[in-house]
Amino acid sequence: MPQPSDVVEALLFASDAPLEAERIREVLDLADVGEARALVDALRERYETAGCALTIVEVGGGFRMVTRPDMAPWLLRLAKTRTKARLSRPALETLAIVAYREPVSRPEVDALRGVNSDAVLDNLLERRLIRIAGRKDAPGRPFLYETTREFLVAFGLRDLGDLPKVEGQLVLPDGVAPETAVVATDGQAQAEQDPRPGGTDVTPGS
Amino acid sequence: MSTTETPTGLTLRVGEFEGPLDLLLHLCRTSEIDLAALPVRTITDQYLTHLEAMEFRDLDMAGAYLVMAATLIYLKSKLLVPPDETEEQLDPEAEALRQGLELRLREYARVKAVGVWLGAREAEQALLWGRPVSELPAAEEIPLEDLSVHLLERAIKRLIEEQNRVRPREIAPEPPSILERMTEILSVLRDTWSLLFSSLTGGDRRRSEVVVTLLAVLELVKMGRIRAQQTELFGEIVIERQTGETISNATAQ
Repeated sequence: MPQPSDVVEALLFASDAPLEAERIREVLDLADVGEARALVDALRERYETAGCALTIVEVGGGFRMVTRPDMAPWLLRLAKTRTKARLSRPALETLAIVAYREPVSRPEVDALRGVNSDAVLDNLLERRLIRIAGRKDAPGRPFLYETTREFLVAFGLRDLGDLPKVEGQLVLPDGVAPETAVVATDGQAQAEQDPRPGGTDVTPGS
Repeated sequence: MSTTETPTGLTLRVGEFEGPLDLLLHLCRTSEIDLAALPVRTITDQYLTHLEAMEFRDLDMAGAYLVMAATLIYLKSKLLVPPDETEEQLDPEAEALRQGLELRLREYARVKAVGVWLGAREAEQALLWGRPVSELPAAEEIPLEDLSVHLLERAIKRLIEEQNRVRPREIAPEPPSILERMTEILSVLRDTWSLLFSSLTGGDRRRSEVVVTLLAVLELVKMGRIRAQQTELFGEIVIERQTGETISNATAQ
């Protein structure tokens, strides 16, 4: 009879998408989700102590078996490439806007970036990092965009709560006067309004 | 608080900025301007100086920069002539506009910061490899949560396109030769980077044509003129120009 943590190992190996603790519980007929988590933790620990090349990460609401970061150079050599394709700065910033304000429409993204975002949004849609969540009840009924699970996986986030806390909300300067008043009276915001490169107002969440 | 020095020795590359907000933010940073007291006079002058040095590739982008320039000039024109040069006074309407601009700038600074953070995250995650494709048999129930309107729209478009391709068809008097097909494939590849095998055999082509096409593709691969990739069983075959030729073409353009 195989050990439960062995079964978890097999499940993780065979899955391409993050495997939810709930699914593990279901498959193994466990009493509760906590037990499933404990099994994953046990497996991760076993990998660590054995110096295994694999590790288990929690992303997109589930667990994923991945190679250890220090294996990357060899894998790149195997793939005969220098690095994985990365997103451009506009794409990352647009993604940031969608992640903090979802569901968000294109005009709202445009307003925050100050430039047209058609091409960037299409690119993100094509990469399945965002998807259309519906239409906004506003003139022109624009599409609303939201981030996908692929986004969480690509950035190693458990959920959107893993995003860094930004000072204040990412608000849209529509009704300028009242919001300005709020920001101006906020002492925190005053202290952090000097935006140095890299951003002082970002603290990586946990 | 604000400095009136213009950023000297600043090298400006075309396309360095993502938009007017990006440029404004850059100006504020380089001259250590406090966003809370956005000095309209200084920032307008600097902005316009930069704008003159820039070249635009498309009208949309140029328009976005010009709208910002217009806003700044309007604000500057609204400045009352103060007794003291360091003080800037605006009427309430213009002051609201200035504050709106300041708020947008601050929002944009946050967006930029989060963008940088995401970039770092992405770099970290790029070091991890998971299993790309599962070989588990497909579930009997189709999970609906991963589907979106966008995908549905694409599927329907593809279906309609296929339908449109089917109807009118001329019957070739003779089956095409492998050589003809090879020339055809290469001529298509001259204008595009890659193409799908299904686009070569799409529509209602006869079985013999599909076979000829496949043989033509294989022959071209053998000759090293193209590359063909099929990532999954019975999946789409992607045909690409061989890299050597790609480079020579790119330099020729």
